[in-house]
Order: sequence, then structure tokens, then C-alpha cells
Amino acid sequence: METDRVIDQLVGAASPVRPLRTPLARTLIWLLIVAPFVAMIVLVMSPRADLIEKMADPKFVIELLAALVTGVAAAVAAFATTIPGRDRRIALLPLLPLGVWLGSLGYGCLQTWVQYGAGGLRLQPDWVCFPAIALAGAGPAIAMAVMLRRGAPLAPRLSTLLGGLAAAGLGSFGLRLFHVQDASLMVLVWQVGSVFALAALAGFAGRRLLQWRRPFAHA
Amino acid sequence: MTKIQTDEAALAALMRAAQGGDAVAYARFLKMLAPVVRRNVRSLRRFLSSDDVEDIVQDVLISVHTVRSTYDPGRPLIPWVLAIMRNRIVDAARRYVRRSAHEIQVDELPVTFADEDANIETDVYGDPEALKQAIRELPAGQREALEMLKLRQLSLKEAAAASGTSVGALKVSVHRAISALRKSLTKE
Repeated sequence: METDRVIDQLVGAASPVRPLRTPLARTLIWLLIVAPFVAMIVLVMSPRADLIEKMADPKFVIELLAALVTGVAAAVAAFATTIPGRDRRIALLPLLPLGVWLGSLGYGCLQTWVQYGAGGLRLQPDWVCFPAIALAGAGPAIAMAVMLRRGAPLAPRLSTLLGGLAAAGLGSFGLRLFHVQDASLMVLVWQVGSVFALAALAGFAGRRLLQWRRPFAHA
Repeated sequence: MTKIQTDEAALAALMRAAQGGDAVAYARFLKMLAPVVRRNVRSLRRFLSSDDVEDIVQDVLISVHTVRSTYDPGRPLIPWVLAIMRNRIVDAARRYVRRSAHEIQVDELPVTFADEDANIETDVYGDPEALKQAIRELPAGQREALEMLKLRQLSLKEAAAASGTSVGALKVSVHRAISALRKSLTKE
């Protein structure tokens, strides 16, 4: 197919387009869409009885906010990676809140260890975390996938990895509101572990989810 | 890259108009962009044939088209185009590697004549039994001539001596035999 003919076809297929909003604005739109979903999951699973009490606990609040901000930062980064010409280093943005999240949980583990010794750091299986985060993160994940597909698939795996981290971060935020699990080690392993696993899964699906579209059959 | 930078303002203005639905501006944008992309692809991938370069140029134009909504009119256009171009070149290289992994490079193709028809690899008369049957059905004179000249590969002189006929008669018999075989085999 000659290049001039391709140009003619592209011009023929062109309709007016509205430029995508900035990654930050798109993140706010995403939050507006998915917040009711996460809230509904929390209500359906019934919020933990001591929630009001826990809101006065700085450790709980820091962890909760760190999970939320990690999700939001990952969403901004995910949207930015689908814009050609943007600095790819924006992908590192979620590392800061993630560091705070892991740091506060690590500090919690340390406190337990100092207080109760190694016996206090018991790891029991908690199989609720993974499916619960996946459930609460499902809505955010679907909305994220739809929104990412409107961008350019320049680094599909990185974009979906960050998108997965955003959705799972939000799912984890929701989980903390209904699942009574406060032992730092348990949260670190089962909740943060689930978030990482879900983000990795999303990353693996990147090339399938985000592909260059073809406006017409190209010989 | 210097030339591409001088085109920034013009290209950006055309793209903004194109996003608004101006088909004339869009055609001008793509026509202006194509040689810029071609030049860059050539300088980045000197070993590519002009067909492969053209494939990438078309790929870049199509990609620019499909993601034209990701261009923010408030930002420079050239980095946006270059990011798409680099991505498509890498994808093309990936495709190229994948394709060459399934290809066997040969120095000389097993070709006997320049004419395509002379190099048909498949046997048109695929059924040896049908050929044998068709030979059996030939008139005796034609069959003998064919057997001597084509199957036993005697020379015309030897065959003429063995059968007691003239060289001319043998030639005619073989020609008719082959015509008859072709007719009976293609009919089936």
C-alpha cells in the first residue's frame, strides 16, 4: 500500500477528537467513577465495628492514606505512560507513598517485636485478603483498563502494572475499612502482598489489553 | 533531528486544526510528517530496505492517527511524534526478528529458469497410477515411441534402429503421445 494512499484513507477516516485531559485530571475522573463502587463494596461487606475508634489511631490512618495515595499516584503514573513524549520516570511516582506504606507497616512489625519479642510476629494464613482486594479493586480495574485503552500503548506492561497497582491500592484501602486485620506483619504479607500480586498480574496482561489499534485493514 | 525541530510550529498548528476536524489541515499535516518520519527512520535504521522503511512510515502515520487525541495542544508536538516513531521502530524490529526466526536464509534459490512457470515445485500430474493407465491406453506405436525415447531415454537414432521406423515418424509419435497424455490427465 502506498504511503499517499494511506494518508488519503487516514484523512477520510478522521473525525474531530477531543484531546485527552491531563493524567491528573483523568485520575480525578477515575476516582469519581470508582469511589461509589468501593464504597458499595465496603457497605455490602459491612464496615468494621471499630472503624470510628480506629480513625483516631494515627498508625491506622497513615496506613489507610498511604494505600489510597499509592493507588492515586499509580493512576497518575499509569495515565502519563500512555501519553507519547512524557518522561517515563513518572512511573516512579507511586514509590514515595508505597515507601510510606511499607515503612509504617515495617515500623509496626518492629514495635511488635520490641514489645512481645519474636513470638509476637506470628504469620497466620489469611485467605480473605486476595479475593477481597480483587473484588474491591475490580471496578477500579475495569474503569482503569477502559481509560488506559484511550491512550497510546507505548509501554503496555508498565501502564497496566501501574493501573493494576492503582486499582489494587484502592481495593486495599476499601479492605481496611471492612476487614478486621491490624497486625502489621499480617497486613504487610497478605494485604500488600495481594496488591503486588494483582499489579503483577495486570502487568502480565499488558500486551493483550493495550495494543495499537488499526483504523482500517492495512495491507 | 534539527529539521524536525524547525517544523514544530507548523506541524503543531496543523495538528490542532486536525483535532478540531479540519480535514485539509490533517492532510497537510500527514503529508508534511511523512517525509520527516521517513528521514528519521532511514537515519536510525540504515540497513532497512526502502520497502521496510515505507512500512514503518505508514505504521507511524497510522499510529499517530489512532492516538491523535493524546496530543495535548499545550505541549510541544515533536517529542510526541518522536515517542510514537521510536515505539513503532522498536515494534517493527521485534516483528522483523520474529519473522526472520521462522525464515531459512539460502544463498541460491533452487531455480532453474527465470520464468516463473518453469519453476513449479509441485507435480502437476500428481497421480502416478493415472499416468501409467494413460500410457497403457495410448496406441501401440505412440506407446513404444514414448517408452523408448522418454522412459528408456534412447537417442532418436537408436530408437529408429530398434523399431525400424524413421526419426521423423518417431518424433511425431512422441509428440502425439505427450499431447494425448496431457489431454487425458488434465481432463481428470
